[in-house]
Amino acid sequence: MPELEFVNVRRSYESPTGERLLALEDFSLKIGGGRFVTVVGPSGCGKTTLLRMACGLIPSDSGEVRLDGTVLEGPSPKMSMVFQGIGLMPWKTVADNVTLGIQLQAHRHKLTAEEHRRVEATLGMVKLTGFERYYPYQLSGGMQQRVGLARALVRQPEILLMDEPFGALDAQTRTVLQDELLTLWDRAQSTVLFITHDLDEAIYLSDQVVIMGRRPGRIKQVLDVNLRRPRYSYDARAEPEFARLRNIAWQSIKEEL
Amino acid sequence: MTRSAVPLAKARANGERSMLAAIGRSYYLLGAVSAVIFLVVWQIVSMNVPPVILPTPAKVAIAFVDLTLSGELIKATAETVWPFTIGLVVAFIVGTALGLVLGIFRPAARILDPYIFVFWSIPNIAWLPLFIAWFGVGNLTLIIFVFVSAVFPQLLTVEAGAKEADSFLVEVARSLGGTKREILRIVVLPSALPYIFAGLRIAVGRALVGIIVGQLLIVATGIGYMFQFYGETLSLAKYFAPLIVIAVLAVALNRAVNWAEVMLIPWKPRAFN
Repeated sequence: MPELEFVNVRRSYESPTGERLLALEDFSLKIGGGRFVTVVGPSGCGKTTLLRMACGLIPSDSGEVRLDGTVLEGPSPKMSMVFQGIGLMPWKTVADNVTLGIQLQAHRHKLTAEEHRRVEATLGMVKLTGFERYYPYQLSGGMQQRVGLARALVRQPEILLMDEPFGALDAQTRTVLQDELLTLWDRAQSTVLFITHDLDEAIYLSDQVVIMGRRPGRIKQVLDVNLRRPRYSYDARAEPEFARLRNIAWQSIKEEL
Repeated sequence: MTRSAVPLAKARANGERSMLAAIGRSYYLLGAVSAVIFLVVWQIVSMNVPPVILPTPAKVAIAFVDLTLSGELIKATAETVWPFTIGLVVAFIVGTALGLVLGIFRPAARILDPYIFVFWSIPNIAWLPLFIAWFGVGNLTLIIFVFVSAVFPQLLTVEAGAKEADSFLVEVARSLGGTKREILRIVVLPSALPYIFAGLRIAVGRALVGIIVGQLLIVATGIGYMFQFYGETLSLAKYFAPLIVIAVLAVALNRAVNWAEVMLIPWKPRAFN
């Protein structure tokens, strides 16, 4: 089973005024087993730093990030990241952007027949069939993030990292994409590490919600969400349990604002 | 063809733009009207001044045909086009390659940028006596002069473009596992492409100046020499023939660059057509 583990991780950065600021201190967390884990916290609590370290984009100052037991030295083909800013290549069509997910994973330009089918199938899963030859500028924000999701999923990642992927979208599109993400997750069996500042989103999506405290970022509280799945099959947001968890989480976060 | 269909549909939906759109559609008509007006004004002015000041369009046309039939204009054009092409093509290749390298490897740029800037700041013509001393009087010197005229705008524009590569897109490519080489091909090169064309547009103009000045001052051949000869002998009707050749060449090159740009950069919405 895939497993991503933070062991006593510490990470600081230099502020524009030259001070060292501690973004994360003594941070330990283990995710895996196909579970959906979400990290929430006030802005500036080191959420994004956490995810960039999980992806292998930046190193930790001390402590370790381990993927399946080995220390992570850089981005791994076993993982995919979805960004809030999406980051589609403007010069590539929808299909080519998704293809890029495989090309950079396998370090070769030409795809096998099976991989071509996978690109096609993934575009179908995110409901972009028929848009293969569009350029990103011709798509709405929601559709662009669907491409971002497809680029990540086509790699069949063991672990899917998501940095506020729906944060820049309107409320309606966000709700639709949340349900679609859960549908895709049901099928893909990936472990997900999701970051958001939206409590409703965190509770609705996750098996476990990790609440972080203010700088230096550390884990304040962990909530297990035991709402029945699939949650898009009923009005999970209207359940008393949802309201209860939301209240606990909100009280906890409020102290940090 | 969705690419062109989308903005067009938007323009149609936008009622207030319909006037502009109508003018846009009659592009060729506008061009023709403008040309006729230009010729009429030229004719009227030239009938009211001595022929040594401005010959009539008809006289210019006759001189153009004469020079073409005698072979003089064709020979001069050929003498101009080949060193121009060699100088420009080499400048384009060297300028683009070096510009990309300097844009990416900033330590190299920190070493070379001051020299490049000094070279670029000195007016080309100041190098000419030196080039003649080094390379003699001949087409080699001419080609080198065209090269030097064109290479710096290409280099500096491409360097700026390579530096412009979006750091977020680089990070995205890295997160997907991209190596330095892959990132260069997938992110840096495409983001520099519009700059490569912008540089080429300036380089073409500079190279044209270079070839004419070079032919005037170094080799006394080609179109440049025709300017000198017919200018000094005050044969103004004939003087206009090489002028027309250069104008046609410049317009054709600019059109070619525009066309190549549209073909190679299909991902950008265009604000004006």
